[in-house]
Amino acid sequence: MNDQSLKILKLIGLAIAGIGLLLILLSPFIGESLTPGSLWWIEPVAYIGSGVFVLGSVVAFIGFQVIARRTRALTGDRTRTWSQVTQDYFDTFAHDMGRPLRRILGKQREARALLNETGEVTANMVAELLDEIENQAPNFRLMIENVRVLVDLEDDTAAAAVEPVDAAAIVRNVSDRYTPIARERGLELVWWCEPSEFGFIYGDGSALDHVITNLVDNAAKFARGHVEIRLTRTDSEFLVRVWDDGSGIAESHLAHVFDRGWTPELSARSEKQSSGLGLFIASSLTERCGGQLMVESQAANGDEVDDHSTIFTLSLPLDNRPVER
Amino acid sequence: MTSKSVGGGQKILVVDDEHMSDLMRSVLRRLETDGFRPIVVAPEGPHLTGDDYETQALFSMETERPSAVLLDVRFGEYDSDRFKGLSILKKIVDRDSSMPVLMFTQYTQGPYRDTAVNASLSVSASVDFIDKLASPEEVVLRLRRLIGSAPETIKIGSLFEIDAANAAVYVIENGRRDLIREIQGMKLEILSELASAMYRSEGELVPFSRLERFSDGEDSRASLRVRIRELKVSLGRAVSREFGANELIINVRNRGYRLVNPGD
Repeated sequence: MNDQSLKILKLIGLAIAGIGLLLILLSPFIGESLTPGSLWWIEPVAYIGSGVFVLGSVVAFIGFQVIARRTRALTGDRTRTWSQVTQDYFDTFAHDMGRPLRRILGKQREARALLNETGEVTANMVAELLDEIENQAPNFRLMIENVRVLVDLEDDTAAAAVEPVDAAAIVRNVSDRYTPIARERGLELVWWCEPSEFGFIYGDGSALDHVITNLVDNAAKFARGHVEIRLTRTDSEFLVRVWDDGSGIAESHLAHVFDRGWTPELSARSEKQSSGLGLFIASSLTERCGGQLMVESQAANGDEVDDHSTIFTLSLPLDNRPVER
Repeated sequence: MTSKSVGGGQKILVVDDEHMSDLMRSVLRRLETDGFRPIVVAPEGPHLTGDDYETQALFSMETERPSAVLLDVRFGEYDSDRFKGLSILKKIVDRDSSMPVLMFTQYTQGPYRDTAVNASLSVSASVDFIDKLASPEEVVLRLRRLIGSAPETIKIGSLFEIDAANAAVYVIENGRRDLIREIQGMKLEILSELASAMYRSEGELVPFSRLERFSDGEDSRASLRVRIRELKVSLGRAVSREFGANELIINVRNRGYRLVNPGD
């Protein structure tokens, strides 16, 4: 049964129930007109009315149930209402926006206080403020994109685009965007692809860009010294591996990394804060594109010399075009 | 790499009604410091619409013959001008299908971008998109790649210059170029490979697999290592310096090699 006939079933059910209700309500008048002067027919009409009402209600109920179940099946186990969803988003968004803003305002207020006190600001302070703004700008930029993608993801009917995409160019663009940030944080960010002439893939370029951006952003937050992005391919899929040498994610937390709202404060990974939204978005987008996002991590265990690291591996089909029949 | 040679005086046509904004001014400034010549399309009149920019842009295409175009998608406050940039793009490409165009979009993703991509895919042009919040450095990098192939000579900082066409490496001293004779053959190939990766993108490393074709013998990794060491010694001798393990050509965690700016 398709959605259209389910809707018709639901409407028919409601109509039958309505007729039943009408029969009950109008039973005195119908009974009166069938046998003028006698009340005998009123009761049977009312009974028939109730029967029709119950029947209609059952049909309508089935219609509603099937539609609801089907919608649930389509949207996974998301049974939350739209207002709950938006509330979640805005909570996280507000939390995320607050942090970079606080850092900028902190520097700004220090400078302002000095200005009020002495009438001038040191060049050093101005430079610090500028650095802070520059440092936080990418966070804002990513957040704006993330919220837009989130709203997009709620639309279950939207499909991933399929276009010829230069995957190496996308990785290069992301690397270019994050190289200055990495340098600022004292990190070395490198990328490469094998084979060097990577060629085109068929998929959703903007989704790919967004997933890799979130992975690299995440890695750059936690790395101690190095971030690596590697692009490789097999016969049927291509892999983007984002590696960082941060303190790692404890095994018990690995399963929750892609949960919405999961933040590393909950884990032993780092005291630095992160959105808890980026990885959720990355995995949701990946799923929509028919791919997989995996995480492996070696957590630091307190030893002096640790070989700790975290690897996110994104695998997507090389050719996501629908098969011609 | 802020030398004039990067842009080589190439003209960039800038078509954006917000060209007076601080954000655009920083892009224009960056283009100039990197040796490009930005030409801003600025029609005159009281109530400018996207059409005015279109006319002026197409006129400037003819008169200025730019190497690339920087184009905004959205023009003005009018709803009809929401995607005016796309119609301008189409007209530009109709006239010169090889013209590289870098488009500014407010958001690089979403329906807005999809419309832009669809419009650009219909024409076989070299068109790329960039977020308007991107840093000026990013814009210049993207533009540079869009314009195309690496230049014939690539500078490594202010010390060396590689001339791929003439298969030569020079050391630059007081504005004078002196040939470094020792660097030839495979060593030169390796250096060129590393230099073009650096030119394309700062973070790109050249994996061993790509470099090992320039080495021979049983243990190609080892012979590659020897060649790299020799390269560093030769380059160092030319400037009377000794390049350490983390200078000039570095081995990145046993993945491959990367050329880094040696500094002055």
